[in-house]
Amino acid sequence: MLVEETLKRIQSQNGVQGIIIINSEGIPIKTTLDNASTVQYAGLIHQLVMKARSTVRDIDPQNDLTFLRIRSKKNEIMIAPDKDYFLIVIQNPSD
Amino acid sequence: THRCNLQFTIIIGCQTRAVHSAEAEVQTLSTAVSWTQTQPHDEAQELLLQPAADRLDPPGLKAFLQRVEDTVIRELDRNGRSHAFDEFQVNWEDQSQPVSCLHCLQHPSAQERGLHVTSVSWSCTGSVIACAFGRTDDGDWITEPSCVCTWNLDRRGLNPKQADLVIDVATAVTALCCHPQQPALIAGGLYSGEVVVWDTSRTQDPVLVQTGMSADSHREPVYQVAWVPLQKAGEFGVLSACSGGRVLLWTGDLNEGRFVLNAAYALVPQQVPHSSYVSFKARGSSTVGVTSLALSPWDPDTFLVGSEGGLLLRCSFSSQTPAAVPSEGHNVTLRAPAVFVFRPRSGPVHSIHCSPFHRNLFVSAGTDGRAHLHSLLQADPLLSLRVSDSSVFQVQWSPSRPLVFAAAAAQGTVHIFDLGRRSLRPAATIEQGGADQAATCLAFNSQNSHLLALGRTNGTVCIWQLSHDLTEQSPREISQLEQIANQVAA
Repeated sequence: MLVEETLKRIQSQNGVQGIIIINSEGIPIKTTLDNASTVQYAGLIHQLVMKARSTVRDIDPQNDLTFLRIRSKKNEIMIAPDKDYFLIVIQNPSD
Repeated sequence: THRCNLQFTIIIGCQTRAVHSAEAEVQTLSTAVSWTQTQPHDEAQELLLQPAADRLDPPGLKAFLQRVEDTVIRELDRNGRSHAFDEFQVNWEDQSQPVSCLHCLQHPSAQERGLHVTSVSWSCTGSVIACAFGRTDDGDWITEPSCVCTWNLDRRGLNPKQADLVIDVATAVTALCCHPQQPALIAGGLYSGEVVVWDTSRTQDPVLVQTGMSADSHREPVYQVAWVPLQKAGEFGVLSACSGGRVLLWTGDLNEGRFVLNAAYALVPQQVPHSSYVSFKARGSSTVGVTSLALSPWDPDTFLVGSEGGLLLRCSFSSQTPAAVPSEGHNVTLRAPAVFVFRPRSGPVHSIHCSPFHRNLFVSAGTDGRAHLHSLLQADPLLSLRVSDSSVFQVQWSPSRPLVFAAAAAQGTVHIFDLGRRSLRPAATIEQGGADQAATCLAFNSQNSHLLALGRTNGTVCIWQLSHDLTEQSPREISQLEQIANQVAA
């Protein structure tokens, strides 16, 4: 299955701790984490991506959000947004 | 003409025909039992990498992933190799917060009797500090009544001079340990050799379980008690160590209110393992007086023991070697637990603590005034740090910073060391008072990592607030700790 293979490829990158795919409503479609964490990430990140996107478009209506990265002390969250889905990857780069 | 109304009343009676009834008996000749049960759907299977041929992917998912895959992989790869954020640190907390004393707790009646604080322990919730009173100097304190006091620091009406709860104890309390999961339970070791568990939620008699003076119990002061997780998840036993060379594991029988001996270990000089570094000659004493005990949070089978003679031993719960001591009427066979001996110290080892961040590291301190950083893998210490000229009574690793530990010295000062610094001098020093205010015990609060409790011989317990840089973990600390731990000689 192309979807599973793609996710396996991403998972095999250095330091990847988890992958979540959520739809445009913030509902998780696929995940490699446990249910509780997935639901937490999905809800919080969906709101954040919406806010980030509106920030970019308010500054310049011709512009749009292409990628979002949140760097924290312990890891980095990368979000690739799209019309219907968001891909969230959690990576600990020093692993 | 006459009209007359005639009313007819027709009476009809009815009766059912006789009902036929008959009696018959029935009896089962053979029975069969069968039952069904649904099985919970295995949660793990709900996770991603499951070949779900029957489950259709949502429309457009494949196309979306094809679009983003390359970008994401490129970013992940670049991020893994990037050094852009190597030493980058952000400080969200107020930097200027210095080390300061928040509270100075006292129990006046204990102070009047000249009792020292022998042990402090935080509850698992991090809001209650429990303090044991007794004596730390030499003498016969068996008849000296003392107490255990608790203060709830999160309570609004905190009165430093009045404890929230005072438990009177008939003899000096020499060791104290709060239960790691149940905030109301506190285990204590007494000068008389008894081990007690108090339940602070009971208003009447707080004693939940005790060893009593049975054949199994210690005869010497119990210098350390610790809660040990048992086989069954959620159940804990109490491990006690006394200066008579015995380490006993107790399980509580709540019905009887007594402790039942689960396992017993005896340390004798002849059974201390030999190594090329150590040639320990038994100096006429037949026991190895245990003065400190530490459990490893990483390996449930390992525990560390420090003795009056300066011995530092790694022991195993599962050791089957019988101890070379005459049977004392214990219900359980005494076993010799020592499996490895570290380089001995020149005086009693007062304190040992295993690092919560690395499975091989532990720190020990004793009367020689030095703190030794050891690895479980070798006999020699990795680092020897000079703490003070006098005895060091307790060392403890910080629960939030892997490289930090604190040491309480007999002169009353507490030194906090940061192994990430180049210099071997302490990163911070808490000084308060002279020899009559010796710091006997300290405890970090694992829930609120900026709090440190310190007990003194003048009967006071001070709660210190640590500065931000002593409590906030920096990005590279774990790897720095790994580097230190890997300095083990091949």
